[in-house]
Amino acid sequence: MSQARFATLMMAPAMLFLGVMVAYPIILLVTNSFFHLDLLKPAARAWIGLDNYLKVLSSGRLAEAAGRTLRYTMFALFFELVFGFMAALLFNAMGARSRWHRTVFALPLMVSPIVAGILWRFLLIDQVGIINYALAGLHLIPDPSAISWLGNADIVLYAVSFPDIWLTTSFVALVVFAGLQNIPRDLLEAAKIDGAGAVQRFLLVTLPLLRPVIAVVLIVRGVDAAKTFDLIWIQTEGGPNFQSEVLSMNIYQRMIRYGDVGQASATATLFLTVMLVLAVLSYRLIWGRARNV
Amino acid sequence: MQPKSLLGASALALMLAAGPSLAADTINVLVEAGGESLQKSIAEQFTKDTGITVNFVVVPYAGVFDKLSAEFAAGTSNYDVATIDVIWMAKFADLAEPLDALFTDQVKGDLAPALLADSEVNGKWVGMPAWANAEILFYRTDLFADPKQQAAFKAKYGYDLAPPTTWQQFEDTAVFFTQDTNGDGKPDLYGTDVIGVNPEEWMAEVLQAGSPGVVLDDKGNVIIDNDAHLKALQFYTDIACKDHAAPDGATQVDWGAAQNMFYQGQTAMMKFWAHAYRQTPADSVVSGKVGAAPMIGGEAGIAAIPGPWYNIVPSTSQHKDAAKQFIAYAFAHNALGIEAPLGLAASNAAYASYEDKPGYEHFKPLLATLGAPATKGRPLVAQWQEIVDQAVTPMLQQALSCKADLPGLLTTAKSTIEGIL
Repeated sequence: MSQARFATLMMAPAMLFLGVMVAYPIILLVTNSFFHLDLLKPAARAWIGLDNYLKVLSSGRLAEAAGRTLRYTMFALFFELVFGFMAALLFNAMGARSRWHRTVFALPLMVSPIVAGILWRFLLIDQVGIINYALAGLHLIPDPSAISWLGNADIVLYAVSFPDIWLTTSFVALVVFAGLQNIPRDLLEAAKIDGAGAVQRFLLVTLPLLRPVIAVVLIVRGVDAAKTFDLIWIQTEGGPNFQSEVLSMNIYQRMIRYGDVGQASATATLFLTVMLVLAVLSYRLIWGRARNV
Repeated sequence: MQPKSLLGASALALMLAAGPSLAADTINVLVEAGGESLQKSIAEQFTKDTGITVNFVVVPYAGVFDKLSAEFAAGTSNYDVATIDVIWMAKFADLAEPLDALFTDQVKGDLAPALLADSEVNGKWVGMPAWANAEILFYRTDLFADPKQQAAFKAKYGYDLAPPTTWQQFEDTAVFFTQDTNGDGKPDLYGTDVIGVNPEEWMAEVLQAGSPGVVLDDKGNVIIDNDAHLKALQFYTDIACKDHAAPDGATQVDWGAAQNMFYQGQTAMMKFWAHAYRQTPADSVVSGKVGAAPMIGGEAGIAAIPGPWYNIVPSTSQHKDAAKQFIAYAFAHNALGIEAPLGLAASNAAYASYEDKPGYEHFKPLLATLGAPATKGRPLVAQWQEIVDQAVTPMLQQALSCKADLPGLLTTAKSTIEGIL
């Protein structure tokens, strides 16, 4: 048996798995997006060309949902990166003593998003939420109903991201911590000898060397945050008045609750395309540069 | 005829009507968790009497719809019976076996008109009520029985303090019980809650105001901008926006939050689903102090949006006769579910058999509410969920922002709904 044939044989199970579990659903998704298709009556499908795409692209609701998805992702990602970096630097400074701290810090990762969503809903909801009671107890707000986290249209989108930040900051911290462990000590020491201060060492040595790690975090967590569904759904179901509705929620509602498979597929196809483009761009921008460092 | 023999005779009649001999050893019933407990005793009895095992496939609430949709989409089904929420009846009507033979005159006579109306979609009997619920009025008996409160109320409003039966009384009582009990200058007890996440309480008030239907009339015309809808919206929002007789943040209050506030002693009255009467937590400050009364009434009298669940037979079922036999049996032995934690049934006879027992004081208010002439189900249209998600709930939430033009909101909702239909 030739080497190439042997390699193909070895890859066959994985290729078969990817074909059935990834390629087939994606092909089906794209195909369905060109049909008028009722979930409960799949036999009565009708070819409508680009109609579903035209509806999606001309829908103000979907454009707003896309904008909210972007804002939600950027907000969650920003705080996850900031808090994650801070924690990772702290653990790195603590050295081996941080072992228990890291374990405790990683605990939210074990919590299912549904549970986290319910937990935070009851923490945030005014009148009965503990957070507002705590803030009122500390005299930071006049009474527990002063901030309507999940009811105020101006802040609800950011409030529903709190559990996301809580759940995944530890993931960012652990990945960045692993990256920090791989930075050669001699480079940092050389910079120190050359007179670089702590901030300069971080900006000019640590951060550039962490670019591949940042790329991984940005892509993995960015994609993950952009397709968040369960956390927000359990807290607000997209309300009030759609102000926390993101794209994944719109796709779910249209596909499952309303049975409009065609339009949901068109939205999902566009969403998938944009996410792929963004992931490739992030990869090239950050990882590409890292190779040249 | 004695009730017991009547029950036996009706069970026999229903089972005969259900079909010939059994072709199955086991039937699979798709149901949500609460529904399993309500039908478990019935299923055990059914197995004893018929030899057919009932296998419950228990899923979360939304899972019933998702799983059944997926099964229909695939064209095959593992389920012989599905217990579904009334809001999905129209969606699944074309894909369910007709149950016409099960709806004898006796069955029809043993159901509240609103429940019976929701059983039939486009002239076909689609589902048999398995259990039914409705929102009634819960109130704090300790507050209503307090002589000081009674005297103060009478002095202020000129009539006796009692569980309200009309809109005016409800508003008066809600305003009255909004009190600063600890002297810090802010209310710590509110008259009631206002829910902004679920529109059913507002829709009940639409019926109380005399609308021929909620959102749509019987011919499918969009009537969300009629006078009754506007009156109900004004009354509903007034409690929060004008009277401030409910805690702030109505747009984020759902049934769970409303229940929490009542159990924490923050509200004196709560419109809520009747089953909650037996579920007050023992460690709640209101434990042992909760009374139940029928839903309040408007110009058209008492009215509520019923919350029934129906047993249907998916057209893809492999054991249709056995499935229909189970459904008939479940209705004939409907009272067996009352001992379950949710404590609900569907037939008048089942409720009547418990209404005088201690601990079931809520059954009379529930029956009065379910059987009220103005009580009516949601429109049976396949797009109902979309109408609620896209038009009704957002409209209600905007109204509860207390800044919106209410007639304008209803007009906008009307055009959204017409677009959906």
